[in-house]
Amino acid sequence: MSQNTDLLTLRSVSKSYGTVPVLHDIDLSIRDGEFLTVLGPSGSGKTTVLRLIGGLEPLSSGEIQLDGQDISRMPINRRPFNTVFQDYALFPHMTVSGNVGYGLSVRHLKRKEIARRVGEALELVQLGRFAERFPAQLSGGQRQRVALARALICQPRLILLDEPLAALDLELRRQMQEFLKSIQREIKTTFLFVTHDQEEAIGMADRICVMQAGHIRQLGTPHELYYKPNCEFVARFFGENNLVAGRLGPVQDGQRPIETALGRLVCSISDQPHLKAAPDGANAFAAFRPEALRLADANDGDNRFSGSIAELAFAGSSTVATIMAGADDAAQRLRLRMPSRIDGSALKSGETVSLCFAPHEGHLVLA
Amino acid sequence: MSGAGSTHAAERRLSQLVTVLAFALPVIFVLVPLAIFLVYSFFGVDQGTIVYAPTLGNYVRFFTDPIFLPVFWNTIVLCVSVAVICILLAYPAAYFLTTLKGRWRYALLMLLLVPLLMSYVIKIYAIRSILGLNGFLNKALVALGVLDQPSTLFVFNMNAILLTLSLLLIPFAILPIFLSLERIPQTLLRASDDLGASGLQTFLRITLPLSLPGVASAASFVFVLAIGDFLTPQMVGGISGFTFGRILYSQFGTAYNWPFGAALSVALAIVVIAAILMGERFGRSRGTSV
Repeated sequence: MSQNTDLLTLRSVSKSYGTVPVLHDIDLSIRDGEFLTVLGPSGSGKTTVLRLIGGLEPLSSGEIQLDGQDISRMPINRRPFNTVFQDYALFPHMTVSGNVGYGLSVRHLKRKEIARRVGEALELVQLGRFAERFPAQLSGGQRQRVALARALICQPRLILLDEPLAALDLELRRQMQEFLKSIQREIKTTFLFVTHDQEEAIGMADRICVMQAGHIRQLGTPHELYYKPNCEFVARFFGENNLVAGRLGPVQDGQRPIETALGRLVCSISDQPHLKAAPDGANAFAAFRPEALRLADANDGDNRFSGSIAELAFAGSSTVATIMAGADDAAQRLRLRMPSRIDGSALKSGETVSLCFAPHEGHLVLA
Repeated sequence: MSGAGSTHAAERRLSQLVTVLAFALPVIFVLVPLAIFLVYSFFGVDQGTIVYAPTLGNYVRFFTDPIFLPVFWNTIVLCVSVAVICILLAYPAAYFLTTLKGRWRYALLMLLLVPLLMSYVIKIYAIRSILGLNGFLNKALVALGVLDQPSTLFVFNMNAILLTLSLLLIPFAILPIFLSLERIPQTLLRASDDLGASGLQTFLRITLPLSLPGVASAASFVFVLAIGDFLTPQMVGGISGFTFGRILYSQFGTAYNWPFGAALSVALAIVVIAAILMGERFGRSRGTSV
């Protein structure tokens, strides 16, 4: 189960409902044993990707390969994948063990074998005591775990999870995230997890695939997506960010300046050849995280500008300041996040301050 | 202050009135008549006039007279058969309806229910002419070579009642079965496919059990309607097709023995209530609803 071999590959997969296209020429490789999250706003086509892989819907064009073999036309009940549905889809007339054992009993395994594996699966999801209950007698989180046990008992090559945590409350969702991740580590099965919640994605995924309007915008580790977004959409969608529009200046050893309403901002372009190759004067954004922005002191020279504090919001461990920076007619709304302090904030609302961010903490995205 | 108080009082009086009405209507129009029936069943008749003295004579007669119990039992068997035939025909029809998409599904459902709008008597006449010696059924069977000559097997006997009641009551079976099938969430069927079940396995293990409440209510519905019917047996049953409903009718109509008719009605009502309770219980026995 090396993470470097591809389990499943989507090759220029497209899908339309009638004349409405929902997926445009998707290429995606899922590695064996990884936890891949497909993240996107509603209508981005993320659930469609999952339904195509699961065999719930046919492709319009393209190919899905499992171990290099085309499975686009393989019927749903023959695919070695199992799905955890958004509303769990537990069979209401069967007990928990009936639900969990369903995939085995339709394959005509021996009763004893089924009972043993159902027991193991229920232990794994910590529901051993609930074997004889009916789904209606369980809480949301318990149903969720039954659905997971039911999906993994058939030892599928890939488990597809369709926003399974959406119906749970915040605390339970956090617990389930950790739980899912630990189960995935334990059984070493590939997970494909669909969600619109970027916090959920950061928390669990080995890699994240960001989708928008039927396209894959970026595929990478959570760290890559956070610090090196490759387009405006990802930069804005994934975590809080400050984006300032401007025009690119000439490359200077690993950095590139951008002329903006806040003056000349210098940002790192390391490992991003497309930013190096972009022509001078091209439209782009300087992107820097709220936690990268800070109050400037006398030694700071780069990326320095002034702004007035419009609002201060205490958020527990951190305090977020909303700042209007630059000339009045072209003021930029920026956010600054800093650790909270017991003796109050160093900032006051209405105050004008001098701000900066380090070039290596800044980033460019092409417009 | 006092104005608001009196409005409150008026509102409270109104809501009390509504509550009283809600209880009064079913009591006056259903329970009281039933109770009157029950009371009458303990009276007797002497030369055409009712004797208002309590007696168990009607019930003794029902249980001891060799005519009534066999007819009672045969009628129950007949109506159970009608229910079974209706279910067997209605289930596939309802199932295929649910496989249709959108508008067609409801258009065809309406089409299947249209016979309910037609006069009962006309329908019975129509079916009688189909089943008769020179009817469509006989002609078709002779033409197909199944029979050498037209048969009298299908009219003026128990078979005729069975066939006619089944045909008349099928719409009442289709509707509850269709509704229970339609209520099954599609994701349950997809989940079953996803877990590796074949189409037949999905039907037998998911669709069928989840539609059983609909089947149970369809069966009790058809049974109750069939057992209360006296017109159909009267019109197509001839002399041999004698059902309990006809006996009841004759006690009230020709024999003019209301107390005995009332006692027979009570016996019938017990069976009907039992059927409804069974239908309801069976519908709920897997009742760990979603």
